[in-house]
Amino acid sequence: MYRQAKWDEPLIFELGKAGRRAHLPPRCDFPKEFHIPENMRRTTPPELPELHEGEVMRHYVHLSQQNYCVDSGTYPLGSCTMKYNPKINETVARMEKMMYLHPDQPVETVQGILEVLYELQIALGELAGLKHTTLQTPAGASGEYCGLTLIKAYHDDHGDSQRDEIIAPDSSHGTNPASTVQAGMKLIEIKSNEDGRVNMDALKAAVSERTAGLMLTNPNTLGIFEKDIIEMSSIVKEAGGLLYYDGANFNAIVGKIRPGDMGYDVLHFNLHKTFSTPHGGGGPGAASVSCNDLLEPYLPIPTIDYDKDKDFYYYNYDRPKSIGKVHGYYGNTAIALRAYAYIAALGFQGLKDTAEHAVLTANYAVRQLEKIEGFRLSHTSSIPRKHEGVLEAVPFKTNYGVDGMDIAKMIISRGFHAPTVYFPLIAHEAWMVEPTENENKDRIDQYVQAVSEEMEKAKADPDYGHDAPKWTSVGRIDSAWSVRNLVVSYKIYKEKKEKGEFVP
Amino acid sequence: MTEGFKSHPYLGNSQQDVDEMLQYLGLSSIEELYSDIPEEIRFKGDLDLPYYKSEYELIEAIKAKMSKNLTTREIRSFMGGGVLDIYMPALQDEVLRRTEFYSAYTPYQPETSQGTTQALFEYQSMICELVGMNVANCSLYDWATAVGEAALMASRITKKYKFIYTAATAPNREAVLKNYVVGANLELAAIPYDPATGKMDIAKAKEMMTEKDENDKYIVAGIYIENPNFFGVIEDELEEIIADAHEKGIKVVVGADMNSLGLMKPPGEYGADICIGEGQTIGGGPLNYGGPLLGILAMQFDRKETRQMPGRIVGITTTANEGERAFANTLETREQHIKRERATSNICTNEGLVALSCAVHLALLGPEGYKETAETMYLSAHYVVKELENIGIKRVFNTEFFNSFMLDLKIPKDKKEEFTSFMLERKIFPGIPFSIDGENYDYIVTTSYLLCEEDLNDYVKAIGEWRS
Repeated sequence: MYRQAKWDEPLIFELGKAGRRAHLPPRCDFPKEFHIPENMRRTTPPELPELHEGEVMRHYVHLSQQNYCVDSGTYPLGSCTMKYNPKINETVARMEKMMYLHPDQPVETVQGILEVLYELQIALGELAGLKHTTLQTPAGASGEYCGLTLIKAYHDDHGDSQRDEIIAPDSSHGTNPASTVQAGMKLIEIKSNEDGRVNMDALKAAVSERTAGLMLTNPNTLGIFEKDIIEMSSIVKEAGGLLYYDGANFNAIVGKIRPGDMGYDVLHFNLHKTFSTPHGGGGPGAASVSCNDLLEPYLPIPTIDYDKDKDFYYYNYDRPKSIGKVHGYYGNTAIALRAYAYIAALGFQGLKDTAEHAVLTANYAVRQLEKIEGFRLSHTSSIPRKHEGVLEAVPFKTNYGVDGMDIAKMIISRGFHAPTVYFPLIAHEAWMVEPTENENKDRIDQYVQAVSEEMEKAKADPDYGHDAPKWTSVGRIDSAWSVRNLVVSYKIYKEKKEKGEFVP
Repeated sequence: MTEGFKSHPYLGNSQQDVDEMLQYLGLSSIEELYSDIPEEIRFKGDLDLPYYKSEYELIEAIKAKMSKNLTTREIRSFMGGGVLDIYMPALQDEVLRRTEFYSAYTPYQPETSQGTTQALFEYQSMICELVGMNVANCSLYDWATAVGEAALMASRITKKYKFIYTAATAPNREAVLKNYVVGANLELAAIPYDPATGKMDIAKAKEMMTEKDENDKYIVAGIYIENPNFFGVIEDELEEIIADAHEKGIKVVVGADMNSLGLMKPPGEYGADICIGEGQTIGGGPLNYGGPLLGILAMQFDRKETRQMPGRIVGITTTANEGERAFANTLETREQHIKRERATSNICTNEGLVALSCAVHLALLGPEGYKETAETMYLSAHYVVKELENIGIKRVFNTEFFNSFMLDLKIPKDKKEEFTSFMLERKIFPGIPFSIDGENYDYIVTTSYLLCEEDLNDYVKAIGEWRS
């Protein structure tokens, strides 16, 4: 049985009273003389909450209890790789020797962190099969943007500035087209085959002297490996383009296949997916970008270099062809440290095991789910899935009027997290499941059984599905209300209340 | 049945589980699940990756490496530049250690994520209070990328393609801005600063805003002003230029030092359309060697223009059946997972937990504590300046400032290392070196509230010793 906590928790602003204090910051005894020009002085204090310390804690405890997380239960969110976040990583990241480093400190005072970052870059480069790596990119989308910008810089540098088209299949992650545009290029979307893989004829037809590159995650978002990758690579390369690997799905092949060996020129890894760092309720994550010699000259400044003779790590800004900077400093270094701890806890063999087990649990889950009446496996069933698989709830919707989203909400009622729904776009009523290597067989069995039982209930009573979830802190949410009313801050909330408008 | 593997704490299954799952799948080894992968691309080698056999060995090894760092708690830091050493109250890490927050995903299933969504709504609201605006997103990567996103946003709103910014912008933020606008083909131009005051050259800025295209239309989309600017100087002559900008349909973006707003007027009150800044400095988290940070982006609400904001925004909403209050991501049709190539930004993973952390910090400070921290920073910096002036050491710009100022040291390039070591011996990071002429270095000095009077006196003494 599952019951999420529910508190009628007021906004933190509504909890306070003037004069209460929750914290006393360090203060100095200098006479209070201020010479801020009059037109630049603050006249009204910000309306921040005024609470006692214990009330602040209570508020956030209440909020936290209304949150589901990886440590609550199975979180098979496809394409997001919600694996367990090892606790040692949190301890490591809270070392004083990590937390209290200013990014502008002289390099001789940060040799420890630079060594860790350098070693991590080598390790990630080895796994990528692409030997040059930066950790400046603070998230996967930033990695994509950076990598695509490297491709663009390469073409510009080779007198090929007309190459501004990135080819990506219609199964790609939403960030792929968005990053393409942000990098100043055009997206050429190509249709996938019936088996969910890239259509080779469509690819051949898409390449031209405008082609900057192909952006492809492999295995793709259906969890299917693009086995023709070598041929794709030669098609794109013969046309003068380069290959970008979206590492969101790398967990399937860590240590088993190196993207560089598949012909990719550049990639990003999401350290918060494959390398176990927490998702933080939306972030922070971190990404690494690895590339080959072709693209190395364009990497963001600075790079971390190592002087072997002096045993000294330093930043190299002397990179005239660099694309510049993509983050204020050197990316999310405290996240990178966690990823380093993860890799070092597993080593090469351990990492390979994680990939194999991730693939095994995904197939085990998906093959059971596809047997439930109302589900079917998307695309060709005979192909083994990798780290994830996509089911389609089309039969269930047709037969019982209960759709993929409803089933996702029903499974939440049972104390599991929903899968990724309605993605990829080439699947219908998509249910994308990725248990990761952390879920054991017993949990997967329980999960499958719960899905099956919930769907049985909805067959008898479709409204049971429409009204799901139950037992969560709030019932089915009407997101459209928020878009119509846009109550996006306490200020707007108060204004509306004062005008007598309805705000829940 | 299989070749076997070593059980590991990060693997959920035993050999028996593996064998049972394989049996269900009708397979004899996991390898068969990779059977569709061409032989020639499979990696058969071994990689020499870092590896420690136990958690104890792992943490000791990392500790040993990291012990080579000197922290801002060992060496007194007078460095700012956009990030700052802060104190995180014990309660704050207690909240951040709650796995319910840190190990959750983006709240795409809001029914089961009311903790994250309400906390982020409150974060947005607190930012609005600080900057005097009424909508903020729930984070970008950092201040530097926020400059880039703000420039792109100004261009989308105005449909114009030139963005001007003051030359007194931090070099790292300027570098990211330059990188971010290439794709959208925005033209950038820097507004010079007055070499006497360090303030933006207002006359020049006004002139740059009047630039027109062949159809007699103004071409500038936005103007970016840091306040206080990178030199620490307060920009206090903005009224006219902001009025001028609005008259020409130019968006005014202010990059604010978030701590300064404890004493200084919120940008929303002097006419800024968009306000950005760094949330690390107001409690987002420790320095962490520059990441994760917290990019703040707020604006004055406008039904149409707010749709051009990048990043996630949480709004109040209602449950479908009971009409209860709830929180959920809103305006998602701006985002990449819905709009793909037509999204306002490619950002997906953001800095949500840092935003939550910042909200906890601000809730702990309250209005009084927030003001006090600003006062301490201000007074410490002014004390140092006064004491330095007493021994004949001046600032480069003799103008009003908050907690940062540029110290007139003119250290020649070849003496810089010596100066660093000299100060290091005295357990001081003296500031961020900056050269106006490309030959000699002045230092941008910033005081946090962590420096006590003794530290400040030591600083003055050390600089004095260096001078003599």
